[in-house]
Amino acid sequence: MAGGVALGLAAHLNVSLTLVRWALVGMTLAGGLGAALYVFLWVTVPSGDPATAGGETRPPALTRLARVQGVGAERLRRLPVTDIATAAVLLAGAAVLVAVRTGATIDTSWVLPLVLLLAGITLGWSQLDAMQRGRMRSRTGGRTPVSVLRLAGGLVRAGGGVLLLVAQDTEPAALLQVTIAAVAVLAGVALVLAPWWLRLVRELGDERAARARESERADIAAHLHDSVLQTLALIRARAADDPAEVARMARAQERELREWLYDDRPAPGTSVAAALRAIVAEVEDSRSGPTGEAVAVDTVVVGDRVPDAQTEALLQATREALVNAVVHGRPPVSLYLEVGDETVEVFVRDRGDGFDVDAIPSDRFGVRESIMGRVRRRGGSATVQSKEGRGTEVHLCVPVRDDAAKPQREA
Amino acid sequence: MSGPVDVVLVDDHLMFRTGVRASLDGSVNVVGEAASVDEAVRVVRELRPPVVLLDVHLPGGDGGGGAEVIRTCMDLLGGTRFLALSVSDAAEDVVAVIRAGARGYVTKAISGPDLSDAVRRVAGGDAVFSPRLAGFVLDSFGTAAGDVAIADDEMDRLSAREREVMRLIARGYSYREVASELFISIKTVETHVSAVLRKLQLSSRHELTRWAAARRLL
Repeated sequence: MAGGVALGLAAHLNVSLTLVRWALVGMTLAGGLGAALYVFLWVTVPSGDPATAGGETRPPALTRLARVQGVGAERLRRLPVTDIATAAVLLAGAAVLVAVRTGATIDTSWVLPLVLLLAGITLGWSQLDAMQRGRMRSRTGGRTPVSVLRLAGGLVRAGGGVLLLVAQDTEPAALLQVTIAAVAVLAGVALVLAPWWLRLVRELGDERAARARESERADIAAHLHDSVLQTLALIRARAADDPAEVARMARAQERELREWLYDDRPAPGTSVAAALRAIVAEVEDSRSGPTGEAVAVDTVVVGDRVPDAQTEALLQATREALVNAVVHGRPPVSLYLEVGDETVEVFVRDRGDGFDVDAIPSDRFGVRESIMGRVRRRGGSATVQSKEGRGTEVHLCVPVRDDAAKPQREA
Repeated sequence: MSGPVDVVLVDDHLMFRTGVRASLDGSVNVVGEAASVDEAVRVVRELRPPVVLLDVHLPGGDGGGGAEVIRTCMDLLGGTRFLALSVSDAAEDVVAVIRAGARGYVTKAISGPDLSDAVRRVAGGDAVFSPRLAGFVLDSFGTAAGDVAIADDEMDRLSAREREVMRLIARGYSYREVASELFISIKTVETHVSAVLRKLQLSSRHELTRWAAARRLL
């Protein structure tokens, strides 16, 4: 039905929708109680699912805007207008009933027009409330069929109420004439006011766009200030005495800025690529090359999927291989991750002098256990290729099941 | 190759132009510089250099950046080749300039000798792929075996060999290393890379188009 009360009631009481509707209809036929109940619930119970409403407020970590519109504060500040109005109407109704019982006579010709007028005004103003709510949720104007219907209904009722009020004793023919005249006057006024109103609407739109731009700019400025400017200041202060540290800081800042600018940031725990980047960042920050210099890892990722135990083991082994390449090899260090349908592969390559793989003593826990063992226990393969003068390349590969869904990267 | 290669350097940062100039070796000769789309078009038309080193993000013109410069100089593409140079990792930047007609894409982190080498390669008619560009190609054309072309004339798929070459480049192999790994000549590697570049420029592959359209590129 119109207000969705039956639907809400059914959802709340956990009974079938049809049952609720029939109960309401039955109660309406038996003395009008159902209709009254319907209207009362419509007015007092807030619309929408409170669970989804709670979900709409995004966690602060995800909102990039520096100045977030205070949705929560707005809700607190707003007076419970509908509740107060309902209470007033109910009290007035009770007062009238009491007055009638005690013997006072009320001129009925005043009651109907007044009720109509009040209903019209309420409908018109409830529009404003709904629009405010709509604006907070989305930036579109909020011109839904329901809002248009409400406005029209309000106008018709208010107009009817006023006419009945002022023209109580006029004949129908004269009433028609008066109505036509009134509508003509209203149309004239509307015609004159239309340009002004249109300009108002346009200005409102412009202002909104400007505000969005402004907040975006503030957002960027805040980010640059918090990260880039700080790092630049640090770099300038330390440029002379610690070149390796400066290179590391510059690299870390570059990585962070890049991520901020270009990445669509998948949620944590949903992307192997993101997990790999985190590992690269950690290794770049904490390890240095043989001569103490900062080493940048050239990372290329093809494809992506949701991490599982298989890829977790692979990434652990990748980390070990990467640390080896950075600490013992020679830059540039290349890292390539390819996610296929049946396997996930990793190549870690450095340009060091290389070493003889077979010459690794079996008690060297590093390569044998932490890299090869990890992957082989998962049914994967690990090979180390090292040639004199052509560096070392570690190839890791684990099988994955295809049932794990690929992460959503859609914007 | 006889004599140094003439190059026009287009980038809106003076500091970066100076840095590139200093890092290039003797085989590359910077004959002109430009800092905006309009200036770049003028300088390139005037000097007609064999190679233009082009930043992806440039001010001026209609806001199209490096891709706009290439499109405006379309009639020169026979004699002038563009090598895109960018700090950006964003897929849309790469695809935009390559689709406009650039012969390669390298990131600004590239070392001086590597950049000089890339310039010589582009001047010689080859395509230059950075590991990252190779990664993009694999990402958009697919790595699965089912995506491999059976016939070579298919524009929307990579041949098995091309895929192998792309994977090695993505793993950080130089052309020479790719050649020795696959037991083929460097010339063959270059042929494969050029073929992939052409596919990237002409492909109507659904993935690539959808992917670019989602970022309002086409």
